[in-house]
Amino acid sequence: MLEAAVAALAVFGDPLRLLLLCGGVLAGFLVGMLPGLGGIVAVSVLLPLILRLDARTALATLTGALAVVYTSDTISSVLVGTPGSPASAPTALEGHPLAKQGQAARALSAAFLSSLLGGFLGVLGLTLAIPVARPLVMVLGSPELFMFTALGITYAGSLLGKAPVRGLLAGVLGLLLGLVGPAPAAAEFRYTFGQLYLLDGLSLVVVALGIFGLAEVVSLLARGGAIARSVDLGSGWMDGIRDVIRHRWLVLRGAAIGVWAGILPAIGATAAAWMSYGHAVATSRDRRSFGKGDIRGVIAPESANNAASAGDLIPTLLFSVPGGPAAAVILGALYAYGIYPGPRLVAEHLDVIYVIVWSFALANILGAALSFLVSPILARVTYIPFARVAPPLLITMVLGAYQATRHLGDLVALWLLGLMGWAMKRAGWPRAPLLIGFVLAKPMERYFWLTVKLHGWRWLAYPSVLIVGVLLVAPLVWGVVRGLRRRSRPAVETPPAPRATGSLRRLTTTVSAACLACLALALWQGMGFQFDARLLPLLVTVPGVALAGIQTLRAVQGEPPGPAENGDDGLGPDRLAVLIGDELHRFLQIAGYLLLIWLVGFHAASLVFMLAFLTWVAGMRWLPAVAYAVVSVGVFHVLSFGFALRWPAGVLVWR
Amino acid sequence: MIRDRGQWVMVGVAMAVLLVALPSAPAQSQAAYYAGKSIEVIVPFAPGGAADVGARFAAPFLEKHIAGNPRVTVRNVPGGGSMLGASFFAANARPDGLMLMCTTSSTVFPYLFGHPSARYDLSKMRVAMTLAFGPVVYVSPRTGVRKPADLLKPGEPLVYGGIAATGSDLPVLVAFELLKLNVKTVLGFEGRGPIRLAFERGETNLDFQFTPVYLTQVVPLVKEAKAVPIMTGGFPNERGELVSRDPVVPDLPSVFEVYRELYGSRPAGPRWRAYEAASVLTFTYGLTWWAPEGTPPDALRAIYEAADRINADRDFQERGKSVTGGYPLRRGDTVERAVQKAMRPTLDVTKYLTDLLRDKYGVRF
Repeated sequence: MLEAAVAALAVFGDPLRLLLLCGGVLAGFLVGMLPGLGGIVAVSVLLPLILRLDARTALATLTGALAVVYTSDTISSVLVGTPGSPASAPTALEGHPLAKQGQAARALSAAFLSSLLGGFLGVLGLTLAIPVARPLVMVLGSPELFMFTALGITYAGSLLGKAPVRGLLAGVLGLLLGLVGPAPAAAEFRYTFGQLYLLDGLSLVVVALGIFGLAEVVSLLARGGAIARSVDLGSGWMDGIRDVIRHRWLVLRGAAIGVWAGILPAIGATAAAWMSYGHAVATSRDRRSFGKGDIRGVIAPESANNAASAGDLIPTLLFSVPGGPAAAVILGALYAYGIYPGPRLVAEHLDVIYVIVWSFALANILGAALSFLVSPILARVTYIPFARVAPPLLITMVLGAYQATRHLGDLVALWLLGLMGWAMKRAGWPRAPLLIGFVLAKPMERYFWLTVKLHGWRWLAYPSVLIVGVLLVAPLVWGVVRGLRRRSRPAVETPPAPRATGSLRRLTTTVSAACLACLALALWQGMGFQFDARLLPLLVTVPGVALAGIQTLRAVQGEPPGPAENGDDGLGPDRLAVLIGDELHRFLQIAGYLLLIWLVGFHAASLVFMLAFLTWVAGMRWLPAVAYAVVSVGVFHVLSFGFALRWPAGVLVWR
Repeated sequence: MIRDRGQWVMVGVAMAVLLVALPSAPAQSQAAYYAGKSIEVIVPFAPGGAADVGARFAAPFLEKHIAGNPRVTVRNVPGGGSMLGASFFAANARPDGLMLMCTTSSTVFPYLFGHPSARYDLSKMRVAMTLAFGPVVYVSPRTGVRKPADLLKPGEPLVYGGIAATGSDLPVLVAFELLKLNVKTVLGFEGRGPIRLAFERGETNLDFQFTPVYLTQVVPLVKEAKAVPIMTGGFPNERGELVSRDPVVPDLPSVFEVYRELYGSRPAGPRWRAYEAASVLTFTYGLTWWAPEGTPPDALRAIYEAADRINADRDFQERGKSVTGGYPLRRGDTVERAVQKAMRPTLDVTKYLTDLLRDKYGVRF
């Protein structure tokens, strides 16, 4: 084993291989930094280039690209609140408030360091898994996989926030969004409304970009000014490193969650990051700062998502079963070389596995170093008026979302989900349960039906199922016990938040009523499905409708959104009304941009949009605005050519 | 290791494309149709699947062997169970042979069953070339099944894991009907890899895998006495009847032979013809490269001839053994009629298939 490891290390003695690994790292770094583009883009853009190289060089390049995506995706999550990839959405939730408080440097350095450590621990897990993975995976049947996805869902429970009804409803909405498309256990398409675009379900990238990214960009725009309120870059870099040292066990636990999520075929880096975040929240004594910029909420998911991308390689290399979409591309590349991973690979080509292990470790170091080098420059973005930063950011998001299926439906979905995310944010609905529900809905349903059909009801008595069941139920019981104890103590009087009035009440009522209407429609449609396709939708929508009814009543009575999720504490009702109107206005402008894309294509529309936005909204003068717009669109053109991205052509354009 | 200068040049070109984003100029050859042109192969699936791997594996060989050496690139257009990409191809491919589409039966079946979202007419398209992916059916030794005849009286109930009735499982499901096997079918797995793991864990005891996976992943199980290979899907003879043995796994009987052994007569009737049609579309022509209607004969001929030359390429033979199982490419002109015939089953066959799918697997048409 050691021999193979050393022999694999010698592979990097060839300077060209090292150079190509660096090329892969650079590609992965860039792609990770741009919101909406993730590991699949990085790996698939390299694929045609590297299939002409020998297998080991190709693998080093691909692994290099895959390994750093979850390091560099942090940058846009922290700086502009737009997740660089779905797996860093929790980082956007916690890291971005830190950036707003002028602590971008601290958040970034903590994130990079925990990414690096998470990657290392992940690859260590991969190495250690080689001898034990086989028996382990042989234990993981459908019942166990079902129990683990259910466990993942309960992690959402710790993220419900201060308004559990709204939190639960967000989870319900996420599950429903996840159910769109083909039912796993029956020949039935659900909630597709006759749209070809929806037949495969919604893309995770589009959902994460819309719910978190677009919503954030719009509220930043409406708020005006620069992202950071206080101008103090300070010595934050060392603070972040100290934070990681202080929370070292959290890094380790996050990495463990990541590796484990990687091994489980149904659960990927995004679920890992959220589970790790939920774990950080659940195990913290003082939870008040979560949601407002807590460094633990950055460290835990960042460690987990890098570890998960290493963990994803465990089933890929040991069983030829891809652990995630990017791992599927690597698997495809291995097939094209005639390398079929599996027990034989371990026995005959152990060095191939070690090439991947070393590349992964090396790429993590390179990626973290690169991030540390680049982000001081990028951190200055937070001090520029946001209106000037927003247009290229919006264009990147649109281009990124369009890569999901290269159908204009991607743009419509992005916009609608953005509106939804914004409304939830404003009305004080936590968004974390939504994304968890979305990610885990299908695997949970799939493994539930496989379990029931393959095992009847015997599985409920399996020891492994019982063990996970205890893990699942224990925190719930603990939570109830703690709640009862707290109740028995004299409650600390907190002054009740003022009732919502005016436009805020209109908004909270609209959101609740819209949710009720959606759930009622989903329930009504769900009754028409075949039994195997109906169970989960009904399990979700029946209590969902009841909860939404309660929530709507409360909203009508003027329930306040609560300070934590609003993010604009202390705004008077008049100012808030202006802000909400402003934000809706921005959504209309973005809709205009998307409409223009449909009509005249990506390039012309982006140029027009940027010019109009920069001169009217950002108040730039014409000449610099023209120069800025032309250069930006030019860069997008080169970039999208280099990354083999596609862009909408426009119906009015002659082709 | 990278030793010779040629590889350095290739690497240089690759880096140049990555960083400067400029395509390299293809080699010129004046007479050939494809000289100085480039071909884009649309794969209506996400990267990493069978069609993607096959298309990408074949791409450099096509570049090398199509007269004029066009640049061949692969583009994934996933979505809508491959209907989005196929509809995209139908709407955007001009009849110039510069855009091809590489599909599996997952694209063919929605068309065959008239899915409203299948906005592409495969019967009008031209078959450029095809590649086979044969199936091997195997069982767990726990079933006590040692030879095909034992399938009728297994020691424990047969449990088969599949993905979806209208996908690549269809021919195997029809084969079970044809052979009148008593099989409990559990659909809903996310891929054939997880199904294999479920078999290894003992959650299922009857499974099939495509030949490349069978040779690399299942044969080791057979050697450890954890799996017993039973039969293949068969291969067409010169007259297109699915009665021959699979050339890659010639020591296993075909479904045709197993039927004859169990029931003493040649299989016939709608059930057999339904099996033939589904099997041919899924396995024999498992990967099909399509060209749009009206593609110039020069373009098609260039691809046909390239297929012959690729089959003679040592490198293709060597690597093909592990990537595709070692089947040769088939020229479009030799198989087009068979492909089109399989896509136009007679009414009784269509009725049999739709009845089976509707009544047993709840598919709505």
